[in-house]
Amino acid sequence: MNVLYFIFQQTMFFTIPLLLVALGGMFSERSGIINIALEGIMTMGAFTSVVFLNRTGGVMGGQGQLLIAILIAMGTGALFSLLHAYAAVNMKADQVISGTALNMLAPAFAIFIGRILNGVQQVQFNNTFRIESVPILGKIPLFGPLFFQNTYITTYLGFLILGLSILVLYKTRFGLRLRACGEHPQAADSAGVNVYRMQYCGVIISGALSGLGGLVFVVPTSTNFNATVSGYGFLALAVLIFGQWKPIKILYASLFFGLMKAIAAAYSGIPFLNHLGISSNLYKMIPYIATLIVLIFTSKNSQAPRAEGIPYDKGAR
Amino acid sequence: MKKRLLSSILCAAVVSSMLMGCGGTSQETPASGTTDTETTDTGEEPQAADSGTTSDGGAELALVTDLGTIDDKSFNQGSWEGLKKYGDENSISYKYYQPQEGTTSSYVETIGLAIEGGAKLVVCPGFLFEEPIYIVQDEYPDVTFILIDGEPHNADNSDRKTNTNVLPILFQEDQAGFLAGYAAVKEGYTNLGFMGGMAVPAVIRYGYGYIQGAEAAAKEMNVPVTLTYHYTGNFDATPEAKAMAASWYKNGTEVIFGCGGAVGNSVMAAAEEAGAKVIGVDVDQSSESETVITSAVKLLSNSVYDGVKSYYDGSFKGGATAVLTVENNGLGLSMESSKFETFTQEDYDAVYAKLAGGEFTINNSIEDGTTKDLTLEKVTVSFVE
Repeated sequence: MNVLYFIFQQTMFFTIPLLLVALGGMFSERSGIINIALEGIMTMGAFTSVVFLNRTGGVMGGQGQLLIAILIAMGTGALFSLLHAYAAVNMKADQVISGTALNMLAPAFAIFIGRILNGVQQVQFNNTFRIESVPILGKIPLFGPLFFQNTYITTYLGFLILGLSILVLYKTRFGLRLRACGEHPQAADSAGVNVYRMQYCGVIISGALSGLGGLVFVVPTSTNFNATVSGYGFLALAVLIFGQWKPIKILYASLFFGLMKAIAAAYSGIPFLNHLGISSNLYKMIPYIATLIVLIFTSKNSQAPRAEGIPYDKGAR
Repeated sequence: MKKRLLSSILCAAVVSSMLMGCGGTSQETPASGTTDTETTDTGEEPQAADSGTTSDGGAELALVTDLGTIDDKSFNQGSWEGLKKYGDENSISYKYYQPQEGTTSSYVETIGLAIEGGAKLVVCPGFLFEEPIYIVQDEYPDVTFILIDGEPHNADNSDRKTNTNVLPILFQEDQAGFLAGYAAVKEGYTNLGFMGGMAVPAVIRYGYGYIQGAEAAAKEMNVPVTLTYHYTGNFDATPEAKAMAASWYKNGTEVIFGCGGAVGNSVMAAAEEAGAKVIGVDVDQSSESETVITSAVKLLSNSVYDGVKSYYDGSFKGGATAVLTVENNGLGLSMESSKFETFTQEDYDAVYAKLAGGEFTINNSIEDGTTKDLTLEKVTVSFVE
């Protein structure tokens, strides 16, 4: 039982950043803008918020500090993604290229500014945010250890954002318009929707969520931020495609990826799995093999937004 | 109109970022204490040097950095501190150069730049300089080179040659690892872990020394010790490394030797969560986390300092590799900042003397790396692929 709790808790550390960033990617892509800059935006969000944690280290601490850091990460991500939005929406640039540009810019920026501020590129922080056990809830048998022990406030925030995403995307006028812009922007425009504004919104939301994802990625993982998020932005893209651009499926996909990653990483410490004698390489491969298989079977009726990646041209309608 | 406004804002942003960049470097003062990163041409005002900005003349002592920067808390920084110390004490000008990219041709070019600037002695930290030094040692026979952690060889490793103007310095990491393993077991830990980065020779030697140090202490104390051993395959802090360390701690591991750059930071994050301990590597890492009980360190700045000193007092022994060991105080544990409770300074001095006296023989073969070639009595190693 203990082992089960442990794996579940570790799975959450992998799942939540993937979930947040993939949801971010979803908002952008459903508005018709491919956003492969997720990795770069994560890096930027993590960088500014960790700098904040570093600077306010001795003075502040605990959940309050983390909440402010969360806001900073989201703000930075949103701001940084504006560059992508401007290139993709106003300048009608190739969205893959401008996304790549951001991916290359972000780590360089983080190293450059980090060195100006602290003299070294690693930005240290003091992790005072872990919740050993949530009061009362942590004592519930079964659910307590699963959901309310050894956790971070960001885990709940992740699920909250998932719920909000479903609501916004499917139950609001905004969500309907956003999706319309990703499927057939000309039709949306003729119905009076400002396509540019919707696409800007999509990209900004994706920036905010990716920035947050960067912070959520770094805090439990290390004791400093070293200008990298180890390719998790790209992994989130895989989760997004695996989840077929739908929030609930994205949750399943990120849980699956998270579980596989957790098992691959932790099996050596779990006697039961260690004795099975399966190579950890196999566990590491499973999510990617699964993605390939799913893509093979679903590519015929893929759920990708139809107008994704095509700059909207008013004159073409 | 909108576009014009935007472009003017962008222009302003570009200009201000440039100003900020320049301002930042020229105003940087050594106030940051230990990580003083200034390049100083003695007697002149401080200037940051990158490759290309040598218009102000260069210096007699030069350091060419490898992939990292001179404040990387590792090789470059340690070497820089040694160079700087000697330069300051003897009023000799010194300067560092940072290559544009991590390729042999770029390294060679940057070394050439340093020599054009008047460098008589060039320090190159890191095994990436093995090829560049092989090339430049013939090109500049009048210039002296100190190569840290490597020996010159050509691109396909078919020819190894060290001219008399080159001093390669190697470290016997297995001895530092030995001390770490010994201290951990003497401290009372019987369930240890080793998490290395890539299985490069230095990491393997650390790991092998660590195991055999634990074995030596376990024999003395007659206790069984278990040791979990793994190479992550990179030098990054990743959730994978952290989850693996967390699972080891969960499974009873008391202390993990985090031996691979940022991998150690992931181990620290897991240790903070589990309330367990970490042993740092290469430099004193105690400032990075409360969980670091000690670090297996290479005393880089000493070795560079001694190398430079030997050049000036005429005792320079180029042409042959100098191996830094416990015998010449090139390695050790960071005892000043350690958090041991039962392992005392006296214990440390005793084992250090024994190691230096050759009482322990350490198998430091790097052929296999999977620990299967070690014969152990008291320590059970479970190697994780």
